[in-house]
Amino acid sequence: MKLRLALPAAAVVLALVLGWVAWRTVTAPRPVALTPSLTGQTEYCLTCHQGIEQISAAHPTSVFGCVRCHGGEPLALDKTLAHSTLRGGANPSDLAVVQQNCGGAACHSGTAADQNDHIARVMTSVQATYAGAIANVYYAFGAQPDLATRFGIFAVAGVDPAGQPHALAALPPAIQPVLQKFQINCLTCHLSAPAKNSAGFRRLTGCAGCHSLSNAAGTYTGTDPTLARNQPGQTQAQTHTLTTAIPYNQCNACHNRGNYDLRTMTFNVRTDQPTDRLHDYYQPIAQCTKCEVELDCVDCHTADEAMGDGTLHPNEASIQYVECRTCHGTLTQPPQTKTITDPNDIALRRAALNTTVPLKLGDTIVVTSKGEPLWSVQRLPDGSYRQVSKVTGATYTIPQVLGSKCLQKPDEQASSYCHACHAVQR
Amino acid sequence: MVTNNTTELVQISHNEACMSPRPSFFSHLHPPTLPAREARFRHTFGLGGIALFVFLVLCLTGALELFYYEPSLTGANASLQTLTFLVPLGGLVRGLHYWAAQLLVATVGLHLLRVMLTGAYKLPRRFNWLLGLGLLVGVLLLDFTGYALRWDTHISWALLVGTNLLKTIPVVGPVLYGMVVGGPELGASSLIRLYAWHIFGLAVPVFIVIAWHLFRVRRDGGIAHPSATAGEPAPARLTRAELVQREGLAALVVSAGLVLLAAAAPPALGPAADFAALPVRPTAPWFFIWVQELLRLGEPVVWGVLVPAGILAVLALWPYIVDRRPDGAGQWFSRHGRATQWLALGLAAILVGLTLRGALR
Repeated sequence: MKLRLALPAAAVVLALVLGWVAWRTVTAPRPVALTPSLTGQTEYCLTCHQGIEQISAAHPTSVFGCVRCHGGEPLALDKTLAHSTLRGGANPSDLAVVQQNCGGAACHSGTAADQNDHIARVMTSVQATYAGAIANVYYAFGAQPDLATRFGIFAVAGVDPAGQPHALAALPPAIQPVLQKFQINCLTCHLSAPAKNSAGFRRLTGCAGCHSLSNAAGTYTGTDPTLARNQPGQTQAQTHTLTTAIPYNQCNACHNRGNYDLRTMTFNVRTDQPTDRLHDYYQPIAQCTKCEVELDCVDCHTADEAMGDGTLHPNEASIQYVECRTCHGTLTQPPQTKTITDPNDIALRRAALNTTVPLKLGDTIVVTSKGEPLWSVQRLPDGSYRQVSKVTGATYTIPQVLGSKCLQKPDEQASSYCHACHAVQR
Repeated sequence: MVTNNTTELVQISHNEACMSPRPSFFSHLHPPTLPAREARFRHTFGLGGIALFVFLVLCLTGALELFYYEPSLTGANASLQTLTFLVPLGGLVRGLHYWAAQLLVATVGLHLLRVMLTGAYKLPRRFNWLLGLGLLVGVLLLDFTGYALRWDTHISWALLVGTNLLKTIPVVGPVLYGMVVGGPELGASSLIRLYAWHIFGLAVPVFIVIAWHLFRVRRDGGIAHPSATAGEPAPARLTRAELVQREGLAALVVSAGLVLLAAAAPPALGPAADFAALPVRPTAPWFFIWVQELLRLGEPVVWGVLVPAGILAVLALWPYIVDRRPDGAGQWFSRHGRATQWLALGLAAILVGLTLRGALR
């Protein structure tokens, strides 16, 4: 090509390329800055995630931002780079990283006295260690001489219920074939295990396993434009939120899904397909009373029971202690109560996180035999007991045994005795 | 009288020449006319000129980057992220700097190959050959220090290996290591050192040597070409305007290519380097993959230092010891330069082979 033609042609090519770059620059999304007051470091995650739900009222976006809990590169607008240093992927509460993400004396690894030791309690709870199930199966198949807990999903040290120092070693890979099958097929429900990828099992790991709700299909239904809607995900929350209003079906992602068959070391998923809550709540073989069907699990089971109390309990039965009489009393005793006089009372803190339950200074609430507050159960000035559902806000008047025609014996307080008369027909 | 008049005329002409302004450096590089065969594209592929243009692009974009780059442990990577994602057109400037640097290494390498294959290093251009080799080393070190200034996870292995190689050099190794790293191990002071080396320790000297190199091209009689044989008609000549137009065309084409690459294939950037948690896989920048492969063969000081230095020494001494005759200068694949051609193609094959082996590993 002649030079006098090549020069303008090259100039036109350069102009076209520059024009294309200018068009890309002009049409690129504007960066959205957020400077959380806690870190003071500007981050640009909302450029892409604009519209995402605030995780909770206790973690305002304007205070925490995203990076304090999730990690990641605050300045990057490239997805790969921005996400390259995320801790725990999309779930900072995974137990492998929760201390780094959610810990800190002012956050969730405070003292037991302040009731801010959430991480330490969860890490020692049976939901996380699965120590009891492991010990039972290992004992049953001759892999250990007694039922004492020796292994957990991860190594952890603490004290046993007797207050003696106790440590669990990380469960090593099994050698016996039956225990290999146990490890593969049965260790699927602890808080570090990803959920089975099928309807009804979906949940996240770690704290979010309970506190971030997943729907049965495992789809995201929130307003973050980067998250695909209507695409089932194995470990996907319905929205980017944490809640203490945990409905029973979140618990059912692990509980009441079926039964383990120790002969074949397999998990048999329940085959009934209930369409109503009465049948969905528990497995077909289980008995339950009306309140166990109408209320949600968290209405009766306390934080200590669900999240652990900081003790290495050997099994579920060891940590569960709330009984029917905790709210209903006995023939001779009304439920234990306390009147809230301290503005920093843990009951008020928990109620503040769950706005469905109104609670204020001066209210009288039921407490458990350990002194844990059942802050959604109040004794009203007229002497009656009222429970507010933590999930729906519905109110219930709690029938009292004292003064009733109940035929209970004082030493028979386990739920099975109550079920004898009060179980609902299924 | 006639003799006297002639002497007078010569004196007048000489005086006028002395009193007129000296030709500028531009005029020195662009004489009023030059033989067209020297400026034929297929004679040089314009590699030296393209390298010069690309170096000027690097100076300009590098100067712009100076306004944002922070040579500190917390600031280095973060300031690059700011420049890349948040500064208007900052990503384009960084992309241009990156791609211009890669193009510079490539053109300088090919320029060297061209010079060897056309015998252009021969007398009287031996000194400029040495300047060129110095520029090659300078360009490689510039690209490496620029790569290290990214201070992200991708560069951590290369910087660690590269600086540790310095330590293995007998006698002067520890001193060199201190000059580059600025302490017992890579850290905050290393960034300051690398930053200073990149700009003042390398770019400024390279700029000066480039000017010298260009000056020598004309001073040595222009681009190497076969000497005219007796009776041959005078070769066609190219005017200064035509030469400038050709350079303009090359600059436009290279500019379009660089902008396209910068926008369509932005340079990589990872999270901040953490030398306590190195990536599992060691990686070198593409132009040093061949050194990484050599290092697999044995002693680091031998394969990582002595072998590359030996190659450089052989090249530097070649026209002084092995190929001392000017025969065949300025001719592609002249029969007088067979040994040099085998050396050039052999070295190129080994370097490309090692690079491909490392890249595909």
